[in-house]
Amino acid sequence: MRMARSRLSGSCDYNGPALLPRSKKTVSLFIALAGFLTGMGVLAGPAMALSLNPEAGSPGIEKANTFHWIIFVVIVIAIVAVNLAIIRAARPRNRHVPNGGSARKGSQLKVGLGLGVVALAIFVTATVFSDQSRVVPVSTETVADVNESKQLEIVATGQQWLWRFNYPNGAFSYHRLVVPAGVTVALKLVSTDVIHGWNVPSLTGKADAVPGKTNWVYFRADEEGVHTGRSAILSGQGYDTMEAKVEVVSPDEYETFIEQLKTDIQDAQDAVEQTNHEGAAATTDVSAGALKDDAQDKTMKTAEKEQ
Amino acid sequence: MSSYPTTMPPTRPEVSAGAPTESRARWIQLATSADHKTIGQILLAGSFGSLFLAALELLLVRVQLSVPDNVFLNAVTFDRLLSVYGETAIFLFALPLCIGLFYYVVPLQIGARGTALPRVGQTGLWLFILGGFVLYASFLFTPPEAGINPLPPLSELSFTGNNGVDVWLASTGMIILGLLLLSIDLLTTLHNLRAPGMAWRRAPIFTWAAAIVTWLMVVVVPIMLAAITMLMVDRKLGGTFFVGGSGGSPILWQHMSYIFFSASYMIIAVTFLAAISEIVQTFTRRQLLNRNVVIGSLAAIAVLGTLAWTQNMITAPLPSGWKYYGMLMSISLIVPFGLIFYNLIATVSASDFHMRAPLRYAMGALSLASIGLLAEIAQSTIAVGTQLQHTYDAWAATHFALIGFALFGGFAAVSYWYPKITGRLLNEERAKISFGVMFAGALIALVPLFGAGVEGQVTDSYRYVSGQGYDVFNLISAIGTLILFVGVIMAVGNLIKSRTEEDAALPDPYRGDTLEWLALSPPVAHNFDVLPDVRGTQPMRDIRDALVRRDAEAGNTADEPQPVA
Repeated sequence: MRMARSRLSGSCDYNGPALLPRSKKTVSLFIALAGFLTGMGVLAGPAMALSLNPEAGSPGIEKANTFHWIIFVVIVIAIVAVNLAIIRAARPRNRHVPNGGSARKGSQLKVGLGLGVVALAIFVTATVFSDQSRVVPVSTETVADVNESKQLEIVATGQQWLWRFNYPNGAFSYHRLVVPAGVTVALKLVSTDVIHGWNVPSLTGKADAVPGKTNWVYFRADEEGVHTGRSAILSGQGYDTMEAKVEVVSPDEYETFIEQLKTDIQDAQDAVEQTNHEGAAATTDVSAGALKDDAQDKTMKTAEKEQ
Repeated sequence: MSSYPTTMPPTRPEVSAGAPTESRARWIQLATSADHKTIGQILLAGSFGSLFLAALELLLVRVQLSVPDNVFLNAVTFDRLLSVYGETAIFLFALPLCIGLFYYVVPLQIGARGTALPRVGQTGLWLFILGGFVLYASFLFTPPEAGINPLPPLSELSFTGNNGVDVWLASTGMIILGLLLLSIDLLTTLHNLRAPGMAWRRAPIFTWAAAIVTWLMVVVVPIMLAAITMLMVDRKLGGTFFVGGSGGSPILWQHMSYIFFSASYMIIAVTFLAAISEIVQTFTRRQLLNRNVVIGSLAAIAVLGTLAWTQNMITAPLPSGWKYYGMLMSISLIVPFGLIFYNLIATVSASDFHMRAPLRYAMGALSLASIGLLAEIAQSTIAVGTQLQHTYDAWAATHFALIGFALFGGFAAVSYWYPKITGRLLNEERAKISFGVMFAGALIALVPLFGAGVEGQVTDSYRYVSGQGYDVFNLISAIGTLILFVGVIMAVGNLIKSRTEEDAALPDPYRGDTLEWLALSPPVAHNFDVLPDVRGTQPMRDIRDALVRRDAEAGNTADEPQPVA
């Protein structure tokens, strides 16, 4: 019987125990897994706290960067650990050679990795939640048009394929957004055509401007400088050219800028109306019929704009 | 190589009554057959043909992005290639590969002589073929160009006026309707045609995965079909389902489509994790550690992963509760994935094994997928996700997971059942070389993209300006994609060449424990002449034991084991 059995089964013991005995190695794998899960669960808290708190402003950004680095390290450790386990498992070997010592070391390594992840997660939580004093209320003294919630509200409109920014005083600019340093900016994202992805990674996370909906991003830059970003959602053939530039200037410069912008826009508007008026007057001289057509065109265009 | 016989002796024992004589041409037989094995083979052949196309499109996309300000492709061509690549990779390669494997293997595994509703399955196959044909016929006219997931309002008539989006909607609709019909056939078979004694608790893991996947298909495909119909109504009949400000909402499409795309991701993961489990059990000659936990985890992956759809929408204007919900569902996915990975690794780790082509592909699949899944879980936290979504970091994570599961897992599964499907053994040497080339290519192509994503490179853009810190990453990635492409051609070439050049296989070349190894290789039209009573989770092991006992009692020590079929 023994002979026939060995012939049928070849060199391997296929009639061995159906289930492996529950070894310490298995237990250690589960401890590592449990540690990793706990770690990820604890990480979820700071992630939530950082992401959707409008008052967090720029201190939040610093913490978010720390958080990103730590989660990066955690993930790299986890990837290395899993792949080491795969390589170790798939290494050709002869099971008849006892191998107890190294297995024990391996289990210690896994327990250590699990505990390490937990420790990192606790560290992150402590970092993020302990330092609440840095989230200061926004000072509004130097900025005129800040609303009651102590935030500077600017409307960003996505269009194919540029961004338009409307400031509280009625001025507007394209491509380039100027904001004061040290003030929390509430950027209201709307769209007139397709979905556009607001994406200035050095200031804030991404948020979509969706037609018919309103989305918000909040940021506060404490230092003056220039931040750039690319639109992040495919919006048609000019998608690759759709960029936004955010300039952070001092509050005084900001005030001057938006007032100047308003004056410039009014001047340009006046100039256009002047030209138009002159043009219309000139047309009157030529023919009354042409003026009539022109006026009809204008009415239709206005109606289209209103729609 | 092990010492037991794996090839057919020159005088092949003919136990079956013999196949009916072929009275009609081969192609007519293929086109009219409702046999699950023929349909499964056509699905598998179609998905590997699509794999070649998808790899070629990915290569063109990466070549365009290899240097800044490249003029190799223009914006429209790039968008079209990208859109067709996405649809080919998901709808023409990965999902038909899952369903095709189930459709071929599962009726054999449960000891059925066919499927319950063969004409429904045949209709599904032809809808699938028609959908693929429509997509590629559009290259003669206007291919889709609104992105991998054509989000309204960009995919509405007012912003994409040509017929590209209609092609996407029509082909996707036909393909998923076909896959739904195949799933319904399979589901009915699973519930009604199991062999005597094959209770659910004795069903193999791959059969369990088939039940989970087909139920999930039945739940999610109608949602996507509804979304497709609604967008069709918008485009052709002037509806406003997805038009913001007119009573509709673009967000609705995101909910409906992301439920389906999340479920597809999980279908691919569940299918190939189950296939890898079967491979590990066969080549380690052990039952999987904690088998019931693994089966439960597969079901949990399907449920949690589908419920995690809002993690794709953390940049959308949604109430924050939705975002927390998506994030918690995604993070909790690490529990079932972790359990399966650790049980698979521990089973291999604790046993002697034969490192043959299927197990090698399977280990590669686990390695690549672990990188992708862990990176996905990091990105599912809102703080990280709002920074990294829509960048090449997210792209690399998804591709690691899907290349791991669908490409490496797919080659693992197909090379495992290759002797059963073709009746020939797979060439081990060529499989080994192609594995190495593909694995190196995948790593070189995808790891640099994590760097590009962290530097801020956004996806879907056909060009970028230099000096932003990601020029080198893109160049390396293009080279890696070329290596991956070569590897894919070598692996597919091995599948084609081995079919004619290699030795004929015995019914049970690996000594598997599930019932498909009882049938001949390739199986006869009615699969089995005699069905055994199933008395456990390893029916073939029981049969071999019974044979050994019978031989011992009869004092018969024949040199060759008796073929059973």
